Amino acid sequence: MIALSIAAVLAVFILYTSAFGGGTPSISPSQLPGHNGRVSLVGKVTGQPTGDGHAHALRFRLRDRDGSASVPVVYRGSVPDLFKSGREVVVDGHLLNGTFVGVRGTLVTKCPSKYAPAKNT
Amino acid sequence: MADLGRAALFVSLGLALYATIVGAWAARAGKRRLADSAGNALLAALGSTAVAAAVLVAALVRHDFSFVYVAQHTSTELPTGYSISAFWGGQEGSLLLWLLVLTGYAGAAVLLNRRRAPDLVAWSVPVLGAVSIFFAFMLVAVSSPFATQTAPAEGEGLVPSLQNPYMLAHPPLLYLGYVGLTVPFAFAIGALLARRTDERWIVATRRWTLVAWTALGIGQLLGAHWAYVEVGWGGYYAWDPVENAALMPWLAATAFLHSVMIQEKRGMLKVWNVLLVILAFCLSLFGTFLTRSGVVTSIHSFTESPLGPWFLGFICAVTVGSLGLVFLRLPLLRSKTRLESLVSREAAFLYNNLLLVALCLTILWGVAFPMLSELVHGESRTVGRPYYDFFLRTFGLPLLLLMGIGPLIAWRRASLRSLGRMFFWPAGIAVVVGAILLALGAGSSTPGLAAYTFCAFVLASIVLEFVRGTRAVGSFTQLVGRNRRRYGGYIVHAAIVLLALGVAGSGAYGSSTERKLSPGQSLEVGGYTLTYRSLTQQRAANHVAVRAAVDVSRGGEVVARVEPGKNQYFAEDQVSNEMAIYTNWLRAEDVDVIADQIDPGGAIYFKALVKPLVNLIWLAGLVFLAGALVALWPDAREQRRLATRYALVEA
Amino acid sequence: MTAALVAAAAVVLVAVPFLREPAPRDDSLREPREATKRTLALAEERDRALAALKELEFDHRTGKLSDADYRELVGTYRRRAAAALQGLEPAP
Repeated sequence: MIALSIAAVLAVFILYTSAFGGGTPSISPSQLPGHNGRVSLVGKVTGQPTGDGHAHALRFRLRDRDGSASVPVVYRGSVPDLFKSGREVVVDGHLLNGTFVGVRGTLVTKCPSKYAPAKNT
Repeated sequence: MADLGRAALFVSLGLALYATIVGAWAARAGKRRLADSAGNALLAALGSTAVAAAVLVAALVRHDFSFVYVAQHTSTELPTGYSISAFWGGQEGSLLLWLLVLTGYAGAAVLLNRRRAPDLVAWSVPVLGAVSIFFAFMLVAVSSPFATQTAPAEGEGLVPSLQNPYMLAHPPLLYLGYVGLTVPFAFAIGALLARRTDERWIVATRRWTLVAWTALGIGQLLGAHWAYVEVGWGGYYAWDPVENAALMPWLAATAFLHSVMIQEKRGMLKVWNVLLVILAFCLSLFGTFLTRSGVVTSIHSFTESPLGPWFLGFICAVTVGSLGLVFLRLPLLRSKTRLESLVSREAAFLYNNLLLVALCLTILWGVAFPMLSELVHGESRTVGRPYYDFFLRTFGLPLLLLMGIGPLIAWRRASLRSLGRMFFWPAGIAVVVGAILLALGAGSSTPGLAAYTFCAFVLASIVLEFVRGTRAVGSFTQLVGRNRRRYGGYIVHAAIVLLALGVAGSGAYGSSTERKLSPGQSLEVGGYTLTYRSLTQQRAANHVAVRAAVDVSRGGEVVARVEPGKNQYFAEDQVSNEMAIYTNWLRAEDVDVIADQIDPGGAIYFKALVKPLVNLIWLAGLVFLAGALVALWPDAREQRRLATRYALVEA
Repeated sequence: MTAALVAAAAVVLVAVPFLREPAPRDDSLREPREATKRTLALAEERDRALAALKELEFDHRTGKLSDADYRELVGTYRRRAAAALQGLEPAP
């Protein structure tokens, strides 16, 4: 009886993963080349970001957390209040002609300390 | 002062070692006074840990920046209340809180049970001691809150988003929950070690589990409310790993609270129950690990810390050790009773358990996925919201339905005729409600409609249970008074229904609009018109409040004025989003207005969301608490019965 | 200084059981013997059967259990309760 249910759960599970795929890769800018589909880009904001995400697209450079490889990012959508140069952020999107195009609403800042949620979806 | 703190923790570590090593020896050799002494060691550990905690609190209140921890988490302008809450605002302090709550629970468990079940307590003490050793060791050797420095002039202050009353209640409640799950675990392992397969350990820990489970539940709802009201993105749960870290043990504990009833009534499922308790405890440790190790990308997580490997090692040791013990004691735990019918209340409880555990494990998989895929593929992959939503629906909707079916089925076996009679009214009501909702347009979301219909079914069945019960017994208070656990449980079910309604409503039936507005312009959302009037700035003690005045109208009439905006904090150089909420009580929905981007020129990019029924979620919390209190309330008659039963052992 | 006090208090608390009873008559941990464990199991069985009877009656009164099912199950549980009660009687 228990064995049957476990089988059922696994079946539902396999069905789901086959339909929706196995998750979105979480990578840093240095790992970008070679990834053509949608990924979650993790890194630190460097330089001077321009734009506001709504009227003018937000443009900034994202570099590896510990490293120098960086990539230009263009993003439209809500920008979290904690966003600024030097912050760690995560943004979903894909690489297009050398620029990372972010998916609307997926820009999230990682807060430097515990218990400080800074979500913006 | 820091020396006192450090010394006190050292004493705690020594006492924990004593409790574990001597306690195990005493239990093995059957020495009463030595076992009592080991139990006293846990009580003494509570004392020394409390001394350490007092030292930290004093330093926080005084803003003594010679303590590295105090300098990292407070500042001179921080109000006293928040300075105290900084105790659990960081890594080291929260570990100390863990140890404090653990020794508190352990001491209470020992005191309350040592006369009634000395052999059980004798074996549980070393288990409690072992867990205490781990946390005390972390505090003494790896992550001490009492590191000192030459005091800087000013501290780093508390992150602005933590400066609100939620910070005072949410973490301690969660800890009361997480740590509370250690006691049932210790008693279960203690019972296995003592070779006592009777229900003494369940009776001893039933209330503890209920208390811990309630605290964990309320703590999570507080967290969700905090996220909704303060963080201001219009949502309350993001399936963030740290949020899931509290949900998983709660689900396991919920399953346990149900399956324990089967063990009490039929003597079945002993192995399953022990495994559930072990699972709940390990998940609570895992949750603590997740928050601290930086292994998972989470908005809540710390930067990588040295604690990670230690925690992982401890969790592995606990898992392997407990499972090994269960395996060794398997012959003792096997019961001869079998499930008589797949259509019975036992079966319903079993399905409920399977669904809860399935949901719990799929969430665990989702949380662990990044770590596992990194090991296997070399790059970490994350699952998104759709993954969790899918499984919440797949397992949650049947669970909802079961909540209504369970109470209507008899124990042992139910005949089709009695089922038909019992189901007629609730099912009928549900169908009618479903049809009405369909006509009103709820068909836009099939899972939403299903959720609403099931909720109607469950509510109807709960009401009927109370009605039929009152008719059978004669008085409502007598009915509830004599069956506190059952009817308290029904009240909790009603709370879950409210929760489901709130989640379904705000999730499946909301609407949202985003637009940039200049003063005078308006936008439409969900039948409301929001008109942006003006922008103001006001200076407060530690921040500047920028607010937009927005009129909310419906049907041509202005019904409210809301003021969304942002706070700019000087010391921390951070901006916080202040979402404005208008609650339309008649229509039972919230209108959330967010001032996303404020241009210097005065134009604002607004985001407006309409969330139907979202306030039911918070109401559910109150009902949940009420139901848990009813279930927890001691029943004198039951106490007497249990006392006579266990007096046999003392004889 | 205070640290020494804390340590001392801890030692005292841990030693209390020995200070209270320096020479006890019986220092063994009361672990239930096999016979007691069997009695306990019977007592649990008895309580379970009695509780089941109460619940069956309640379920029957509120309509969850049909007359036929009720009669059948009540018989089973009355027998179980009787067997447990008999087992708990002191041997003649």
